[in-house]
Amino acid sequence: MAQAMLLSLRRISRSFGGIQALDNVSLDIAKGDVIGLVGDNGAGKSTLIKVLAGAHDPTSGDVILEGRPQKLSPPAEAQRLGIETVYQDLSLIGTFTAAENFFLGREIAIGRGPALLRWIRRKSMGDTAMRGLEELNIDIPGIRSKPVDRMSGGQRQLVAIARGAFWGHKLLLLDEPTAALGVRESREVLDLIKRLGAQGLTIVMVTHNLDHLWQVCNRVVVMRRGRKAADLASSATNMEDVVAYITGAKEPMTPRPATTEAGA
Amino acid sequence: MRAAMSADHSLSETPVPADTPRVSSTTQALYPSPSARDRRALLMRLLGTYGTIIVLASMLVIFSVLQPATFATIGNFRNIINDMAIGTIVAAGLTVPLVAGDFDLSIGYVASFSGLLVVGLLSSSGLPIPLAIVLVVGLGTIIGIVNGIVVSKIGVNAFIATLGTGTIVVGLNYAYSGGIPLQLTQSREFTNIAIGRIAGVPHLVIIMAVVLVLLWMILNRTVQGQHIKAIGVSPESARRAGVAVDRSRIVAFAIASTCAAIGGVLMASNLGSGQVTAGDGFMLTSFSAAFLGSAALREGQFHILGTLIGVLTVAVGNNGLAMIGAPIFTQFLFTGCLLVVAVALGGIGRRYGRG
Repeated sequence: MAQAMLLSLRRISRSFGGIQALDNVSLDIAKGDVIGLVGDNGAGKSTLIKVLAGAHDPTSGDVILEGRPQKLSPPAEAQRLGIETVYQDLSLIGTFTAAENFFLGREIAIGRGPALLRWIRRKSMGDTAMRGLEELNIDIPGIRSKPVDRMSGGQRQLVAIARGAFWGHKLLLLDEPTAALGVRESREVLDLIKRLGAQGLTIVMVTHNLDHLWQVCNRVVVMRRGRKAADLASSATNMEDVVAYITGAKEPMTPRPATTEAGA
Repeated sequence: MRAAMSADHSLSETPVPADTPRVSSTTQALYPSPSARDRRALLMRLLGTYGTIIVLASMLVIFSVLQPATFATIGNFRNIINDMAIGTIVAAGLTVPLVAGDFDLSIGYVASFSGLLVVGLLSSSGLPIPLAIVLVVGLGTIIGIVNGIVVSKIGVNAFIATLGTGTIVVGLNYAYSGGIPLQLTQSREFTNIAIGRIAGVPHLVIIMAVVLVLLWMILNRTVQGQHIKAIGVSPESARRAGVAVDRSRIVAFAIASTCAAIGGVLMASNLGSGQVTAGDGFMLTSFSAAFLGSAALREGQFHILGTLIGVLTVAVGNNGLAMIGAPIFTQFLFTGCLLVVAVALGGIGRRYGRG
């Protein structure tokens, strides 16, 4: 493999009490990959994304970021490293404007020291958020003035993903980005993900919707019972096969961490 | 009328089943239909946004009509403002943890103990006035920090936790005073803090204004204020965005308790003595004011200006009742009813506000 690996998971396991949520999972994420992560409920995809987001520490196994072993937790550490996560809901503050949400936790401010003494620069935050959204071709009225509560679900998701892309210069994790959206809104969100992928951003996206997956992802990773059941280029497979891997109708591919050994 | 209404329904672009839950703003943003339900929602929204101002305005009108000679005078309003200054400081402080989504039931007891303690320190140990005040207000800050730690780090429900710390403060109060009011043996210097005037403006009103401006700036202009507002809406979203949730809650409790201690010191200065339970009543009036304030201008959100309007509403009501010669029990009935109405209005604002 000639491609530079952005991030590699090596034999990651994670258990909660007696439950093995992740069992020896290895995954190589190349720069520019747009990976669709699928699997049944409880298959381990959400634990996997939380390991990447720094929300869960693996019980065993290594995380290699750009060639070096790296601890991703707590989430603030993952964020510092350029890994951003857009959660299904729980990502925006409803009464805040899009601009305020953009900078929540990372406000542009005058002064140093405790947060009590740091003066918010609202104008500067508004300008930067506007620019960030313009660069992504996102046109939503009221970025600086409208509480995101007053926006549609699709607009909110666009804002949340744009924020993730703005801060996550290395890796963007999306948890069911189209789950609660209508057809037109889903298309807008998928278009944005496609544009981000085209710009070279690396993305891992959890989804239940295989149709959406095929529209944006170049790779499919199937999880089943805590293991990686399949890891395929989306051009080299089809929906029936993927469904078969999800349900277990098709045997998992070689359980060894195929890609790393092939690469070595 | 019926026909018109059903016509409205058939005109709406997309049929929405009658039992569709009113979930997100999306639904409303996508399907604006001027149905009866929407009109009701609009009415509720107006009530949640202007309810308190309507209550305040109608009281002003009613009392002015009933007692034009005594109620509706500049002098009386100067009195109202002066009398509500201390309560405003305590209520504005309470507003900060309320914005963060936390209750603080200890503020009244903190105010009582602070008033008593400052008189005790001045009378028995002969500390200089500024030092005594700094010590007492500092103790208030520490009590607030303890509240915040118990609530955020240990995870005790704020209601119970602050009831507990408040009761501990009552215990400290009685341990220190033996349950007996303390007389101020010091000079007039201390009482002058509350009673004095600068250019005709009472000190109390100036201090109130300074505290209000400071708290407003903290909530609306600093990173800390932004974080306090965020955790009040969704602590989990804030945490995921990198906000130090626990620290923000602790700061909010510290601010409330500091303001309660300042209120207690001013109360002692105003009374010229340390009374054991003089500040206890601030708890109820502060909650009334803050909840009334949440139904003023901001659709159910707590905010500093709203709390000021809330305190004014309570103060005008009590003053007006006294002016028309209503017996003292009516003031309790009034305050109690107002608290219930306030919480209801705030709830209406929150429920119907978004979207």
